[in-house]
Amino acid sequence: MPARSDTHARGPIRGPRSVAGGLLLVGLAALALYLTRDLSQGTLRSMGPGMVPRMLAIGLGLSGLVLVGVGLVRAGHPLERFSLRGPVVILLAIATFALTIRPFPLGGITTPGLGLLGAGPLTVVIGGFASPEGRLRENLVLGLGLTACAMLLFGDLLNLPIPMFPEAYAALFPDGWSQDGRLRVTAGLLAGVAVALLLVGPRRSEARIGVAGQSRGA
Amino acid sequence: MGDLLANLALGFGTVLQVVPVEVPGLGPVPLPMNVVLCFVGCLVGTLIGVLPGVGPVATIAMLLPITFKFDPTGALIMLAGIYYGAQYGGSTTAILVNIPGEATSVVTTLDGHQMARQGRAGVALGIAAIGSFVAGCVATVVIAALGAPLTRLALVFGPAEYFSLMVMGLVFAVVLARGSILKAVAMILLGILLSTVGADLETGQERMTFGQSFLSDGIDFAVLAMGLFGIAEILRNLDHTEARDVVRQAIGRLLPGRDDLRQSGLPILRGTAIGAVLGILPGNGAVLGPFASYTLEKRLARDPSRFGTGAIEGVAGPESANNAGAQTSFIPLLTLGIPPNAVMALMVGAMTIHGIVPGPQVMTKNAGLFWGMIASMWVGNVMLLIINLPLIGLWVRLLKVPYRLMFPAILLLCCVGIYSINAMPTDILFIGLFGAVGYALIRLDFEPAPLLLGFVLGKLMEENLRRALIISRGEMSTFVERPISAGLLLVAVVLLVVALLPTIRRSRDEVFVE
Repeated sequence: MPARSDTHARGPIRGPRSVAGGLLLVGLAALALYLTRDLSQGTLRSMGPGMVPRMLAIGLGLSGLVLVGVGLVRAGHPLERFSLRGPVVILLAIATFALTIRPFPLGGITTPGLGLLGAGPLTVVIGGFASPEGRLRENLVLGLGLTACAMLLFGDLLNLPIPMFPEAYAALFPDGWSQDGRLRVTAGLLAGVAVALLLVGPRRSEARIGVAGQSRGA
Repeated sequence: MGDLLANLALGFGTVLQVVPVEVPGLGPVPLPMNVVLCFVGCLVGTLIGVLPGVGPVATIAMLLPITFKFDPTGALIMLAGIYYGAQYGGSTTAILVNIPGEATSVVTTLDGHQMARQGRAGVALGIAAIGSFVAGCVATVVIAALGAPLTRLALVFGPAEYFSLMVMGLVFAVVLARGSILKAVAMILLGILLSTVGADLETGQERMTFGQSFLSDGIDFAVLAMGLFGIAEILRNLDHTEARDVVRQAIGRLLPGRDDLRQSGLPILRGTAIGAVLGILPGNGAVLGPFASYTLEKRLARDPSRFGTGAIEGVAGPESANNAGAQTSFIPLLTLGIPPNAVMALMVGAMTIHGIVPGPQVMTKNAGLFWGMIASMWVGNVMLLIINLPLIGLWVRLLKVPYRLMFPAILLLCCVGIYSINAMPTDILFIGLFGAVGYALIRLDFEPAPLLLGFVLGKLMEENLRRALIISRGEMSTFVERPISAGLLLVAVVLLVVALLPTIRRSRDEVFVE
């Protein structure tokens, strides 16, 4: 993404943001037209599945072209420089959650299903680095604490169908234990580790805020 | 009149109903379950809604799963509570931090935050709550009074009328959107286009699904909403270096004094009237309420220069309009089955999950649910008054949590929330995708709100368009030959022309700049 410091770009493109936006719309319209190429159009009296999407795509493409035209003629906003760190790290964190919450076939391999026990802390620890201020220990404390709260809230209290932990982990408990019991003990353990991590490390002024962050999830 | 009272009685009966609840250790205990749900909804709604950058749409999408456990009436009452809580949370953030949680609380930042800086945050929050309460009371009666007649109106609506009504709604959304009209139109087209993904409703043929089975049911609304309003918002906030301006001054007393009340009495009533009327319009007219109320109060004020420096009327009027609009926007949904904005679309999703098809038949088939939900609006307003004011200290502390600790929590809540709706990992991947798309759109000056509205209405529009044309044997003229449909389209055209007129355009820009 080119960075321009002046407010009005020089050269043939006078409104780069408008041109980029227009091109995006044209691209999306072209994609839609390509995807609907095999669908029958039908007549007004009996419309086929392709008619409405195709008309919308044409409309979208036309608005895109007008925007490109406006950007070429009228001076407009430049494209701003932005950091890729946020989007890349956040998307990575989301993908991690999606792929580890339960086994997910990905090409030839299947990802391990870690349940919320694994997916929760992983997502928070990875996602936390989306901000340049992210610190590993802080993210870890936050991740474990939030996961403990999420387990109690979504699993114990609301009984939502979310895998909580991998089967191998559940098998560690003696047979007589109920699912809720396992859940509560696990949440307790997570919270305990989080508190221990908080207390062990070097004291920073932000440490106390970490606690506030946990209690918020409850 | 008698009907109105009887219906309200039914509603309050439903809300206040006492049912035995199994409490561990105590056995069955009689509890007014719906009141409890409304209370919990308001509380968690405020808790999430108060977080900067989390508006009502993202809040409801995140919290939707927590209502699954309950019966339909309870679930919808709780969701309505979450909605009011999120709304009020947004106003709290606007006053205390100068960050509007969503479009409707933008106006509140102007004078509300100035009041907070003068050490009158408590009074600002107090008058906002009182104004909202008054507005809520009036709006509840308005809904109860208009519900029945409008439902009868819905019965004379055919597919052509429905289609034209939705066109009018979308034109409204275009006119109300900030920035370029062309961009708003493009976003609406894109939204409708996205709604056509999935199996065709008549032939069942797959459309734009890339051959993937999880797309054949179409894109889930909650997934799109959470991506565009939850994840994209995180990405946008990460761009700004942290400069949150939490009020350092004392919150001050909460109850407005006699002078404050005298100054805000009429603005509250005027704001309520404006908000209630605009809220009924399809196409998210509720957004306009606070702007209109603020402009009106400024015009009517003896000394307009006070506005922007902490005038209490500038908080009281718009906040009342905001809440009145938030409630009356239930009317198109409950009577015609058309969601006028993204929040109501989520309500449709919630109703569908519980097996209720929104529309005029709800009032006859599920009378208890219908009137219960309306009565719960009033109860929800009382709750807000009771819980929010004493808890202001907590919200202030919450707002001081740095964003780097806040966004991972929002992220996790989004992931867990969306997974528990359909138990599909692909849904989680899609909130990431839509988040990235939404972020790109925001960076390119497109507004995601019209996109979402287009998506909400898209399926219904296509269905009604096709049906209308089958009935008319392919004659497009059916839309202008039927008088109601023609009238609605005429309003749409007039609106669009007026919005495009240069003079109006300039003042429209001014309103949004203000």
